[in-house]
Amino acid sequence: MELLLLLEKGLWFGIAAVGFAVLFNVPVRTLAPVFIMGALGGLTKTIMLQLELNVIVSTLAGATIVGFLSIPFAHKKHAPPPIFAIPAVIPMVPGILAYRMMLGLINLAGEVNPETYQQILSETVNNGMKVMLILMSLAGGVGVPMLITRKESAKEIRFKKRSR
Amino acid sequence: MTKNLTLKEEILPMNNNPEKDEIHVLGSTLLEIGALLMVSGASSGRIRNTINRISDSFGYSADMLISQRTLMLNIYNEDSGHFFNSLKRTSPHGVNFVMLSGISRMSWLIVEQKWNVKQINEELKRLRSLPHYPRMIILSVVGLAGAAFCRLAGGVAFDMVMVFIGTFCGLFVRQEAMKMKFNPYMCVYFAAFVSSLLAGIPAKLGSYDTHEHAFATSVLFLIPGVPLINSFSDMIDGNLQNGLIRGLNGFIISFTIALGLLTSMFIYQF
Repeated sequence: MELLLLLEKGLWFGIAAVGFAVLFNVPVRTLAPVFIMGALGGLTKTIMLQLELNVIVSTLAGATIVGFLSIPFAHKKHAPPPIFAIPAVIPMVPGILAYRMMLGLINLAGEVNPETYQQILSETVNNGMKVMLILMSLAGGVGVPMLITRKESAKEIRFKKRSR
Repeated sequence: MTKNLTLKEEILPMNNNPEKDEIHVLGSTLLEIGALLMVSGASSGRIRNTINRISDSFGYSADMLISQRTLMLNIYNEDSGHFFNSLKRTSPHGVNFVMLSGISRMSWLIVEQKWNVKQINEELKRLRSLPHYPRMIILSVVGLAGAAFCRLAGGVAFDMVMVFIGTFCGLFVRQEAMKMKFNPYMCVYFAAFVSSLLAGIPAKLGSYDTHEHAFATSVLFLIPGVPLINSFSDMIDGNLQNGLIRGLNGFIISFTIALGLLTSMFIYQF
């Protein structure tokens, strides 16, 4: 049952990624990889969240997986890695948190009620910091493979076993 | 006819020199490629790499000043001392990854098969004429993506249906507003307003606390993913100025989305 729920979530992550891929007008040949990458990245994040890890760390891990997967797919489908990676990480954007932060900001601008103001302030700042750090880890995770291989173009990156 | 010729000769006094001609044609083609990459959503590092790759294969060294709305290019041949210097203003931005992948593929073919400028221009013409996805497919798939977001946030079936309808109509409104040449931020505002107004129906009918997800996730198709991610990759690349500008653009879009949501909330009195 647990596994079924997880698979269902993966499916939704994949569909959301494909939706954005179509919105960004990606080549048709890259749609299937985007689905797979979106689903795997999202599942990584969900599983890590269920293990009660921090939401920022989980998102970073999901985005890193997407970043690494984008390199072999880029070789296979002859398209630059960002084309796969950007639509695939967008389902991980923290929409609800951003929405709560916005609501909080509006409440903060309203009348000051000394009893609840402190609580609203701390919740808003908490949500806002999470949103910011999650967005940064999304972008950072996608860039990790390029950063650690120190190559200018993904075409030069080869993940192959070293010959003995 | 004769007058035109003399005029041209006055502007380009040495146009009997073939290399001088080549550098002019190549320079404007390179600027065209850079501008296309910029509006299609490439990061600054990618633009610079692509331009350098192509100009290297022709034996010129290229230097660029890249900004959001204008590109400046200087190409230079060390042997002959010829150079070309020009500016180009980019058209309004619209993410188009087919263009990005097509140009990246082309740049490698240019290096490997030694294309000439005419071939490049023909390929650019072909890439520009490539069709987008059919409109109904875009609208429905993005609608499905919205429903998926809603499901991931914990919405029920009714919420998902309303988010689908909201996203579908919101994106439709945005496309129509773009056609009517509204300010791009205004287009986002209209779209956010329409989709949150539709997706707010479950929350208005039922209780707000259980249907909040539909309302919040209906505008997620508008999030400026490409500007924000490009902003970050520009910044860690050292292109701080471009990164800041792209980030600011993404921030304004987010703010506009929030304004659209606020208008719906005001109407529904949440």
